[in-house]
Amino acid sequence: MPSPVLKALSSRVPLARALSSRALSSRAGRRTVILAAAVLTAALLAVALVATFAGGGSSGVTYLDRNDTAVLYASGHRPLAPEFSSTTLAGAPMRLSSYRGKVVVLNFWGSWCDPCRAEAPALAAVARHYQSAGVSFLGVDERDSQASAEAFIRNFGVTYPSVSDPSQVIALDFSAVVPLAGTPTTLVIDPSGRIAGAVFQSATYSELTAILTKVTGKGG
Amino acid sequence: MTDVRAPETDPFDPAAEPDAPPRPGAASPAGGGFGLADWLKWAWRQLTSMRIALVLLFLLALGSVPGSMLPQANNPSAVQQYFASHPALAPWLNHLGLFNVFAAPWFAAIYLLLFASLVGCVVPRTFRLAGSARTLPPRAPRHLARLPRSAEYATPLPPAEAVEVAAGVLAGHGFRLRRADSASPEPADAGTWVSAEKGYLREAGNLLFHLALLGVLVSVALGGLFGYKADRLLVQGTTFADTASALDEFHPGRLVTAADLGPFTITLNRFDASYIASGPQRGQPSAFDAQVSYTEQPGGPARTGHLAVNRPLSIDGAKVYLIGHGYAPQFTVTDARGQVVYNAPTPFIAGPSGNLLSEGVVKVPDAQPEQLGFTGVFVPTAVDIGGTLESVFPAADNPVVSLIAYAGNLGMDNGVPQSVYQLDTGGMRRLTATPQILQPGQSLKLPGGRGTITFTGYVPWVSLAITHDPGQLPALICGIAALGGLLLSFMIRRRRVFVRARADEGGTTVQVGGLARTDASGGFEAEFASLAAELRTACQQGRHPQPEGE
Repeated sequence: MPSPVLKALSSRVPLARALSSRALSSRAGRRTVILAAAVLTAALLAVALVATFAGGGSSGVTYLDRNDTAVLYASGHRPLAPEFSSTTLAGAPMRLSSYRGKVVVLNFWGSWCDPCRAEAPALAAVARHYQSAGVSFLGVDERDSQASAEAFIRNFGVTYPSVSDPSQVIALDFSAVVPLAGTPTTLVIDPSGRIAGAVFQSATYSELTAILTKVTGKGG
Repeated sequence: MTDVRAPETDPFDPAAEPDAPPRPGAASPAGGGFGLADWLKWAWRQLTSMRIALVLLFLLALGSVPGSMLPQANNPSAVQQYFASHPALAPWLNHLGLFNVFAAPWFAAIYLLLFASLVGCVVPRTFRLAGSARTLPPRAPRHLARLPRSAEYATPLPPAEAVEVAAGVLAGHGFRLRRADSASPEPADAGTWVSAEKGYLREAGNLLFHLALLGVLVSVALGGLFGYKADRLLVQGTTFADTASALDEFHPGRLVTAADLGPFTITLNRFDASYIASGPQRGQPSAFDAQVSYTEQPGGPARTGHLAVNRPLSIDGAKVYLIGHGYAPQFTVTDARGQVVYNAPTPFIAGPSGNLLSEGVVKVPDAQPEQLGFTGVFVPTAVDIGGTLESVFPAADNPVVSLIAYAGNLGMDNGVPQSVYQLDTGGMRRLTATPQILQPGQSLKLPGGRGTITFTGYVPWVSLAITHDPGQLPALICGIAALGGLLLSFMIRRRRVFVRARADEGGTTVQVGGLARTDASGGFEAEFASLAAELRTACQQGRHPQPEGE
């Protein structure tokens, strides 16, 4: 036996009238209401569940560690690095596009940032190791003061330049293309200016060499 | 015919369920076993019962407890520290999702069930209310004298005409009418009675309340899914970009990622605070004004604006609130090699003693040959009271800092993030026996030629809360609608008046009966009396009276 709702739909009577007093006074009508509520709730639940668990499997991304913090982007899935022009801590103008044609490791750091201090020796070692392979390193000094940043560079013997980004607008631009969640973050940009790999936390020597080996084709 | 004196259910409560819910184990009406459909129906009824809703609400509160006691995933360094200090317990807690309670499947299960329970309770009620708002009044009972209010009068008019006159009066008062008609099961009844009911707006109010309640639920869900909250401390003269790495705290909704943050930048150009200078309220703030300039897009046109307490700035769908302020004393530190290793304003946080007496630390991790650290107190208006410095006014009228210097290992280089407001002195030794007092421009020479620290001045800072809650406005509207509906349903009484006329020797006897529900204010007695008097007069005049406005 068709329910009042179905009857209402087939006879083009507004649903509200089917659910009005007369329909409600019968047991069938009440069941219909309960059914409608159940369907509505189930639909809401389904939407909420899909919304909760959707957004996984984006393709073209390989995770290099268990924490999903070191990633490689397959060619064709590499986000374009946003251009910036700024001044280095030494006072020279600097544009990211001047590195076009080379692999460049872009490291977001700050002298106040404890994990940045922890990764600094590894970064310096990788920079020395890949110098002959034509890999450039560029630091982006976040939310820092000139004096503290210069002291950090002296202290850790950092040989590559850093641009100053006290208000973090460079980080803002990059967060539009990669999930930049904090400082430190290290990005490996390929010769065409696209982001080929990233470490979204304190980078280790092995993570950096694993990414650079893939991108340059030269072993660590 | 319905007897109003002994209804099987409350005749006025449309939401009352006339039949008891079936229970498992009890024989079903069909006589067969308790099938899957019956079980599902039983489970649904249980889920949507008030009792289960309360249990779920309690569970939700209980489930939030570990979320506030254990470090959560939005503070990864605290979680790391917890793992380090509780190596045996932490992995188990992690398996149970206790480090990310609000994203844990069991927590989601509780609130989704609660949501289902509320929706399942409110939606059918809404339909029942909608139905009841359309019903006609019941047929007039036979014995009107038994009703809570009744009256009787004689009239020379024939019964049918007397009823018509009464119907006219009642309609004039805005009653909904039901007359005995030919379709009635007792055709002899025709023209001998009329039922009237008023106060349907009560049901409309009830309906509005229930619909608005659903609206509030949906709005809160909207806010929880698509909203976010973030905090940022901003020193005067500096700029920040609204991106995850620039925020001190970031609490995104379920469907929000850092990429959803509005790409604006805010510069604090100037912050002024004024305080009451005399009287019993001396030292209380009287006004705050933060002058900011902002861009909605990086490189976009800069606009200027003002922020004050409860006067937020709306940028790109987010609201930016001024929630705190303080002083950032500026220090310059030179190390043993004569190199400037620190030169920056350092935000100090107001302590509990009032008048903006603020505490903070200066960490100089790249000083040579050893790292340097300072704990300090900033006193805006310093007065020496019995050998201790106290702040007597929050404005910086006589600013001094008091510093204790340390040298050694700050513990910053092992990579575990630490608070910028705390100094871990475990690996350090104290350089100064007593706190050293500095006024702006004064320097402290560190013992053993380790360098100097200079207090060069101070700037104010503000603390900003950046919130985006797409459910806020709908929740407000629904909240007001719910309140309005509740008031309507409280203030309007549903009341019924019945009129019956029968031929008697020498004329017609008219009986009037009335009843009202929730007559708490006691107004129905007077209303009925005046209505009965009006009916009597109308009948005696024999003509339909002019309808009177209520």
